Amino acid sequence: MRAVLKYTALTLFAIPWVLVPIWLVVVNSFKPAGEAAELGLGLPRTWAIAENYGIVLDRGGYLTGLVNSLKVTVPIVMAVVLLGAAAAWAFGRSRSRWLQAAYFVMGLSILLPPSIIPTVYLLRALSLDGGSLGYVLTMTGCRLGVVIFLATGFVRAFPRDLEDAAAIDGASRPQVFVRVLLPLLRPVLFVGGVILIINVWNDFFFALFLLQGSANATLPLSLFQFASGTLQSLNWNLVFAHVLLTTLPLVAVYVVAQKRVLAGLTEGALKG
Amino acid sequence: MVMRNRAAWLPWALPAIVLVTVFFVAPFLLNVRFAFSSWTSFRAEITWNGLENVRTLIDQDLLANAVTVTVLYAILCMAIQNTVSLSLALALQRTSGINTVFRSAFFLPTLVSPLAAGYIWRGLLAPDGAVNSFLGIEWAWLGEPSTALVTVAFIDAWKWSGLITLVYIAGLNGIPESLLESATVDGAGPWTRFRRVVFPLLAPALTFNVAVTLVGALSAYDVIAATTGGGPGDHTRALNVVMRQQWGQGFFGSASALGFTVTLLVIATAVPLVWWLRRREVTA
Repeated sequence: MRAVLKYTALTLFAIPWVLVPIWLVVVNSFKPAGEAAELGLGLPRTWAIAENYGIVLDRGGYLTGLVNSLKVTVPIVMAVVLLGAAAAWAFGRSRSRWLQAAYFVMGLSILLPPSIIPTVYLLRALSLDGGSLGYVLTMTGCRLGVVIFLATGFVRAFPRDLEDAAAIDGASRPQVFVRVLLPLLRPVLFVGGVILIINVWNDFFFALFLLQGSANATLPLSLFQFASGTLQSLNWNLVFAHVLLTTLPLVAVYVVAQKRVLAGLTEGALKG
Repeated sequence: MVMRNRAAWLPWALPAIVLVTVFFVAPFLLNVRFAFSSWTSFRAEITWNGLENVRTLIDQDLLANAVTVTVLYAILCMAIQNTVSLSLALALQRTSGINTVFRSAFFLPTLVSPLAAGYIWRGLLAPDGAVNSFLGIEWAWLGEPSTALVTVAFIDAWKWSGLITLVYIAGLNGIPESLLESATVDGAGPWTRFRRVVFPLLAPALTFNVAVTLVGALSAYDVIAATTGGGPGDHTRALNVVMRQQWGQGFFGSASALGFTVTLLVIATAVPLVWWLRRREVTA
């Protein structure tokens, strides 16, 4: 009886919390502008799927945005995960005071907010401003801290016997890293990687300052430019079509990975 | 035995150290200088001007309001987010088929970008939108000074609650079953068990979540940009919103000063909070 009550309450909560927002976006992205302006939850009286999505793909810069988002997300995630794991190995195993001091700075970089304006200045000085390379390097530098912090805790919790045994068997250090360390760190790197993908894919603030021109715009930037083009009264049908298309790639990743994401997170891979 | 010499570890950490130093630490240090420098789009030179930026921002009535809005916003976000997430976590703690479905569903908003979350809720909460027609009222949630800030904070909380719920579930699952059983044997009801056993042992997860949500919300920008743009009036004009405006007008020094204010707020919040919450932690 209590269980029935609990799941009824949860369902009643999930309807406005999850279902209605999704439904609003989907159904209104199928309506013509005038009908979508009513922001109702009913089915479209006139369907305008092809027109709306056609406009978003064409004028909304969706395809350019998609390519640009992939072009920055993939390198950032790869660099943070691989360089973070390598650094975590060193921080977890070395007793050098210098490295421990560096590890402390990495920890600070998680907590403190990145200084965006001096970053623009710095990238300009390095002739990296406005383009995706500067953005990738900045995001990597600002996101490494979290992965290093989580992975170093993991490394420290493991006895080093496995690594020593592999080394005695004649494995070089890079071989030990690839064959012993990366598999050991896989759970934490996986969870960290997924959170990172979500963060980088959805990043708007850094992109707004660091990426110039629509040729470099990632999906959140192109959504914002598209929506701000008509700030007085949003074309809700088009905005929602853009929102849906921008979120779908992440939902696809999530559907494939959700079991491991949920299990990894609830088993405490993120516990500080 | 093989890999114990010191210097050999450096190359493994070096790329990460260089990237963090150049793209995080260096801008951080530069910001301390720029916050107290005259730097605008009208003059190429950057010169030290002490507290001039701060004074200008105060004279324009921008700073005090932005600090108040930012702090209030952070507290509202933290309160809403942790209340929702902890409740969901308590309901969905046990790993079972149906709970996994709910966990998965409640995680979905986390996948939505804060910007898109802003647009979605701006649509739902429009004066003639679905929420109002369900409640039978007409209210501009985002347009009225009395509700704008709490509404924006709610949207931010909505976006992040799924993730925070999972961290709480991890914390709850770390509590030994035996402790709860012996509390039950001693006659403790559900509320007493929660207050005396679960809550104190949840401290590490609570520390993490409260700190993360507060610190994250102090840097708020995206949701505000998609919903109110800082309005009505200046009721949701958080520090980063003013920073972006100053930057757009070419006042780079003032913008840096605002960014530095966010940093100071983060330090002022995080240090005592982590210290205080850590002290309350009980080891199981």
